[in-house]
Order: sequence, then C-alpha cells, then structure tokens
Amino acid sequence: MSEPEPSDPLRSCLRMAVSSLCTEVGYDCADSTALETVTEMAQSLIVELGRSARAFCELASRVEPVSADIVLSMVEMGIPVQGLKEYAMRSNRVTLPAPAQTVTAKQTAILHTGNKKRHPGHIQDHLPEMPDSHSYIRTPTHRQPVTDYESVREKAASQKRDVERALTRFIAKTGKIHNLFKTDDSNLFPLISCEKEEEGMKLPPYLDALMFKDQVFEEDEREYLPKKRKSSHNDMDDDDEDNVDKKAKLDESLAEVENIDNPFLRPVRLPRPVKTPVK
Amino acid sequence: MALSNASPESDDVSAPQTQLVQVQSEDVEDEPFATLPISANKFLNLLDTLEDYNTTVPNTITANYLSRAGMVTSDNRLVTLVSLAAQKFISDLASDALTHCKMRQASNNNIKKVNKEKKYVMTVEDLAIALEDKGIAVRRPPYYQ
Repeated sequence: MSEPEPSDPLRSCLRMAVSSLCTEVGYDCADSTALETVTEMAQSLIVELGRSARAFCELASRVEPVSADIVLSMVEMGIPVQGLKEYAMRSNRVTLPAPAQTVTAKQTAILHTGNKKRHPGHIQDHLPEMPDSHSYIRTPTHRQPVTDYESVREKAASQKRDVERALTRFIAKTGKIHNLFKTDDSNLFPLISCEKEEEGMKLPPYLDALMFKDQVFEEDEREYLPKKRKSSHNDMDDDDEDNVDKKAKLDESLAEVENIDNPFLRPVRLPRPVKTPVK
Repeated sequence: MALSNASPESDDVSAPQTQLVQVQSEDVEDEPFATLPISANKFLNLLDTLEDYNTTVPNTITANYLSRAGMVTSDNRLVTLVSLAAQKFISDLASDALTHCKMRQASNNNIKKVNKEKKYVMTVEDLAIALEDKGIAVRRPPYYQ
C-alpha cells in the first residue's frame, strides 16, 4: 500500500532523514505506516523541544533561548543528555544534503502595458506587486465628437466606399473571378464572375434585375416563371452555340490564393470513414 | 585552595555526579564556569564541538519546525543540538525495533526454515513493542473501514 507523498516539503524531507536513520541502524525496508509513525514522532519531538525551550527562556525573562533552556526541555521530556556526545561521534553517520530552494519562475508579463509603480515605503517587499498602470489610470477625453455636416458626410461617403471595396475584394478572393487578361496573374484586376449557374442552366447576369424579389404575389406565379426562362434560354443557347465555341471561353478561375492563411477560408476536410472491425 | 576530585569521569547514568570542581584562584580567568557540576561542564564542551557538525536531519528543516513552535534563534549550534536529540531518540527506537525483529526472525527460523532471511522490515508490531518500553502506546486499527 503506497501512500501519497505529503504535500508539505518539510515533512517529506523529514521522512527521508528518518528513513536514512533507519537504514543506518540496519533496516532494509519499512512499512509505510511504521515510517509515518516514526516521522510523526520525530516532528512532534522537535516541535515540543522548541516549545518547551521557549517557555523556559521566557520564564527566565529572556527573549532568545540558550543551550540551558534546551537541556532543561530535554530533561523534562525524559531524553537523556549523557549519550549525546558519543552518538554525535559515531562513525557511520549519514548526512543528507540540505534541500535546495527552487526559484519561483518569474511570471512572464505577456500583456504588459505601462510601468508598474514601486512599492511605497510602508509596504513590505514580499507582498504582491502593484497592478499595471492601465488598470486604474484613465484619462477622460474632452474632445467633442465632430458634428458639422461636411465632415460627417465625408466620413459616411468614405465608409461606404471602403465597405463596397472590401466586400467586392472578399467575394473576388473567395469566389469565381473573370480574368480580363490572358495572364495567370489574377491579382491585378479581379472581377467577380458574372455567370450564374442554376439547375445546370446558364442564366444571364441581369436576371436578378428583372425579377421582382420584394413582393411575392402568388406562389404559383413564381413557379411558372423559371420554366419560361428555361425555354427562352434554350433558344438563346442554340443561337450562341457556335459563337460560344469560337469565342474564347471566359477566363474563369478562382483567384490565386495570396497565401492567405485564414482558417475560415481553408477547404473543408471531411473525416475519413473509419472502418470498424466486425467483432 | 583546590579540592581534589578523585572520581573519574564516567557516563554512568545511574550515578549522577554532583561533586563540584573547584579550581585554583589563578585559573579563574581560564575557566569562566567556576562552580558547576561535571555533567554541565561536559555538556558545554559538547556544544563547542558541535560548531560545524552536519546532522542527518538538515538544519533548515529543524530550524523551520522550531520556528513553528516559537523558538527562533540565530545560533546554529542550538538547532544542531535539537536535531541531534531527535535523531538519537529515533535511532534508539529503531535499534530496539530491529532487536525485536531479529529475535522474531531467529525464533521463526529455528522452527521452520534453515536459511535466515536477510531482509529486515520495520513493521508496526515491532515498533509498538519498542515504544511500549518508552511509555508510548501505538494502536492500529485491524482493518480500514
């Protein structure tokens, strides 16, 4: 039966010392219960000697214990003083090295902003440090928001431009684009491809402009319209068939990924089906 | 005037020595402890020899436990003294338990096996018998609930 190591490092050190003493005496191994009992006795002996010595020294109106106090405590506890010298001079004594003090790893200040204030004089050094200055210092701003018509209008316009530009670039980078030039470099002027494919048929790009999307008058009406479109589209296709072959096909390709390592833009990876063995 | 002290120094516990040693007046400066029992003299000599002594129990451990009890001292010899006392106690206890263990093994081997088991294991039973002599009762529950 193995008992868990005591969390108190002092205690575990004492346990090691006690076990080395037992080994010195002649034991090869020991019951963990027995070892714990002996360790407990050793600890309580040391503590009792210290307490008793302090009591004696305070009784004599002193502050620091002297050797006589310790002798008196030993006498009171019944520990013989006589044999100590011979015991100290025994030949086969074992000395354990003092336990090394581990240096507490300094917490790396990852989110370090600003300088921390030093401890004022009345605060001890072993107390925690002051927090970062940004956590308790704030500068109230007194600038009024810009409300004149001109700058607000300008800001709105530039925002609109930026939004449009960003959105179109995003769709161009992630979707099909139409290359204006024959070169493979599609980064110069990416145009979003305007060919729509629906149900295997190629629809004209201006179709959305023709369809009423805001109001659906009747469900049936909506169903009819696609069929009409298909038939008309077929006629168109027949006309353009020859032309389409002759014409250079629109250069459509996906925009070259400029090494965008956006995790949301990576292709989907399906998990491989794991074949479970039949038991 | 010097009184001669005839009895030799001995470590016999049963006969505590209460004779006094009185030194000549010329030697007063050499020995600051003028009228003290011999045991105290010996003890104070012991303290001097403990100057650089390394105990099995490290001094830091003992000093920590002593500070828990309220005894804080800057003198390392006192800490060494305490740890020595504790060590001696433990060693005596362990040797008593070992004696019991050997007796038990000897009696067992005479009855059953010929070859003697060389391993000595410290068990709670041996410890309990050794502690009985010191007046400490160790009781162990026969089973854990």
